[in-house]
Amino acid sequence: MSWTDLTTIAPLVAAVLVAAAVLVVDFIVPGNRRAAIATALGGLGVVALVIVVGAASRHFGTAFGGAYSADNLTVFLDILFVIVAALTIVFAADYLQPRGLPIAEFAAILIFAITGAMLIAGSADLLVLFIGLELMVLPGYVLAGFARRDPYSTEGAIKYFLLGSFSSAILLFGLAYVWGYTGSTRVDVVAAALTHAISTGSIQPGLAMGLAFLSTGVAFKMAAVPFHYWTPDAYQGSPTPVTAYLSVGPKIGAFAIVLRLFVGALEPLKGDWLPVIIVLAAATMTLGNLVAITQDNVKRMLAYSSIAHTGYILVGLAAFAGGQASGVSAILFYGAAYTFMNMGAFGVITALQRRPGITSQISSFAGLGRREPWLGLLMALFLLSLTGIPPLAGFWAKAYVIVAAIQAGNPWLNALAVLAMLNAAAAAFYYLRVVVYMYMREPATNIAPVQTGLLFRVGLAVTGIVTLVFGLFPVIVTAAGNAANVFHS
Amino acid sequence: MSLPILSLIAFTPAVGAVIVALTPAEKPELARRVALGAALVAWALSLYLLATFASAAPGFQFKEALDWIPNFGIQYKVGVDGMSVLLVVLSTTLTWISILASFAPIKDRVKGYMISFLVLEVGMIGVFIALDLFLFYIFWEIVLVPMYLIIGIWGGANRIYATMKFVLYTLVGSLLMLVAILATAFAYQAAHAGSWAGAFDYEKLLAWAGSVHFAGDLQVLAFLALFLAFAIKVPMFPFHTWLPDAHTEAPTAGSVILAGVLLKLGAYGLIRFAVPLFPEAAHTFAWPIIVLSVIAIVYGAVVSIVQPDLKRLVAYSSVSHMGFVTLGIFVFSAAALQGAILQMINHGLITGGLFLLVGVIYERTHDRTIGKMGGLAAKMPLYATVFGFFILASAGLPGLSGFVGEFLVFVGSFAFAPGIAVASIIVMVLAATYLLWMFQRVAFGPVSDFLNGLGDHLTDMTRVELVTILPLGFLIVVLGIFPSLVLDLLGVPVRAFLAAVGVPS
Repeated sequence: MSWTDLTTIAPLVAAVLVAAAVLVVDFIVPGNRRAAIATALGGLGVVALVIVVGAASRHFGTAFGGAYSADNLTVFLDILFVIVAALTIVFAADYLQPRGLPIAEFAAILIFAITGAMLIAGSADLLVLFIGLELMVLPGYVLAGFARRDPYSTEGAIKYFLLGSFSSAILLFGLAYVWGYTGSTRVDVVAAALTHAISTGSIQPGLAMGLAFLSTGVAFKMAAVPFHYWTPDAYQGSPTPVTAYLSVGPKIGAFAIVLRLFVGALEPLKGDWLPVIIVLAAATMTLGNLVAITQDNVKRMLAYSSIAHTGYILVGLAAFAGGQASGVSAILFYGAAYTFMNMGAFGVITALQRRPGITSQISSFAGLGRREPWLGLLMALFLLSLTGIPPLAGFWAKAYVIVAAIQAGNPWLNALAVLAMLNAAAAAFYYLRVVVYMYMREPATNIAPVQTGLLFRVGLAVTGIVTLVFGLFPVIVTAAGNAANVFHS
Repeated sequence: MSLPILSLIAFTPAVGAVIVALTPAEKPELARRVALGAALVAWALSLYLLATFASAAPGFQFKEALDWIPNFGIQYKVGVDGMSVLLVVLSTTLTWISILASFAPIKDRVKGYMISFLVLEVGMIGVFIALDLFLFYIFWEIVLVPMYLIIGIWGGANRIYATMKFVLYTLVGSLLMLVAILATAFAYQAAHAGSWAGAFDYEKLLAWAGSVHFAGDLQVLAFLALFLAFAIKVPMFPFHTWLPDAHTEAPTAGSVILAGVLLKLGAYGLIRFAVPLFPEAAHTFAWPIIVLSVIAIVYGAVVSIVQPDLKRLVAYSSVSHMGFVTLGIFVFSAAALQGAILQMINHGLITGGLFLLVGVIYERTHDRTIGKMGGLAAKMPLYATVFGFFILASAGLPGLSGFVGEFLVFVGSFAFAPGIAVASIIVMVLAATYLLWMFQRVAFGPVSDFLNGLGDHLTDMTRVELVTILPLGFLIVVLGIFPSLVLDLLGVPVRAFLAAVGVPS
């Protein structure tokens, strides 16, 4: 280990230190929420600073003998993960307090999870990738069961844990096959070996089997149909801020795996996985949307909708597999846009549920536009963005994915683009249904006004403003494009 | 640098919406006045535009262009030709009338209502002035949300069903349109060494479509996608089923805008984008579309006869009248296209007026059932006179504007296929039947028990109601006698359209 190694992984080190600092602060001033929140958010700010300074001073390159690599993609994803963590903590603070749940432990666990996601984002070695994955998902199980006296939370956590560890095992099994047939776990070596194998003839059946296991494992993590069964229960049962995190953090983490593994290591075989991805994308968005239509619980509805969004993001991956490099930047842009609009939507639900006992049934939203004009307006904004109505962030996310799919010029991908748009129209039904409840139904009488702290309001405002600004000026396209260039420079 | 008049017209209502949003909720009167003021300013600006527009100059005028998303060559580019100028003026006129007509009926959540209307106006004007396909799409979608809210919040008893149906129908079409727009832009980009510059620019695409032509399969698919989006909006048979529901449930002013402007968005899209960009495909599908248009003309008229509800009757008559527009577009002749565009304007004025008048009676009776009315002429003589005037205009009485548009479509389509023209002429008889029969049941005969039971509530039209309706009546007479006021503006766009489809004009 050299000094350069350490500066390269400085963001990871910083994140671990922040998580530890939160615990220490909680140890020194037990139960002091303000101190814990300030440490966590301030610490995340420092992590962001470290990332940006590292990027600005071009501390790029590989570390630890090539096992870890920092590049534009790492920076893009790292920043995104830090934002996810910060927003989650902001939303969780107001939610956990009335329920008597500790914010300090929550924040520390969350930041450990984010560290895992950041490790994935920078991994150049399949084993590091796997370690990052486990570091990301293990805290996730704890968070899902964070309300440990709530049977739904516990049930969701158990389901999440069982299927999650199952899928991790499958993924690891697949990695073992890839290692066995290519002789290395290093991403670039694997890619070279595969290119060589293709040039000399067909790939061995064992390697194909390994790829199948890998695809299955990753599909589990990103909740692609038919590997999505854990999602609705885990999402519905978890405390709402955790659901917000689960719907965004691990999903983008899973796509970080996809980018490092499929786009990086298995790129030579992309022609072979194109049909798989197309089928996966088509099934995922269609089933996610169709089931979401029938949901009466908004959290569960958003769980299915997040499955549908996985499908749209997979369209970008399919475009890449079809030979269109801009598919990767489409994935990244989608991830960024989805982060803000989905976190925002969950933020509004969190605000509604601040007082324990309020369910996330759609009837809780009746008359919200009149009771709480600002919350109603923001929720409408997020839902319209999730629908894909311009000029909001979600519209560009979809448009960008569709452009990539059309540009690939493959008739199957064109059909997939059309299917994605028909799905978006179907999705309008269930998103707008919430708007119907908020603006077109009368509220039940005697509902106490929603009370939120200043920090919470700032968090909601940020998500709302970004959703709008990304829509009017999708500048982040450039950043996504730079990050994606990692794969073809 | 000249005055960016188009942006001023398009964004004046947006500024108005922001100001309305800042007014206190407990002062609805202030919100009403600010909204009306903004709409009147936009109207005045649009009249200035009409006055300074040079009708003989070729191409687009008052162009503005700014880079918006350079990565994809997407611009904020606007400009108008004679057709869009007319439709902009129609939109601004109907908007202030609608807002004024909403003063009395809308008492709940006035602020939100006025904001929705002003945002709706931004979208409508934007659609008519956009010269960038992407910008066009964005304005097209902006129209959707306020109308969804207007029907869903301030509509009738079955409003939620109606508004969801409206949104889902429109979204299916418009999202496919987005795919088609992107595919078109990509085809252009691929043919220009991968440069996105100009890939969404309407003028560049049109020039490209006229010289190089888009590939055959792209033409077919993109045309069909655009056609579906626009046909749903027009609405053409068999995509019309959302319309009666939306009209019946929408508040009066919502129906006025829906019939007066929103249906025109579809026809405008066909004339501006679908046909000129993909002329070969348009020729291929012209016959099926003409047949669908004739079905719409006949079917709309026949179904209108049996409608028990005033608004539903007017809604179905819209299907019939808009059938003339699509017929006029797809026979590809100068007279028919002029007639089609004129018919768009006329339908906006006449049907907008009819919905206002149905609103007047609904305000007093809270009912629209034709069977319950009777003898209104005795109770509300002024109303009956005005209503009768609009009925005759809608039936196509010579001397009023409705006649000229339909006549021109007949002339144009007769040269194309006499059978089609004859079939649609017969429908004029049907139109007279359903309109006059309805008028007879509503206005003549003994005063019905239902109306008698209302007693003093059944007052004649108020001054505000007259102010909303008279401008429309005035324009109907003027355009009926001097159709050249409109037709002079249409020479350039009609020639451009015919050149694009390769028909000598």
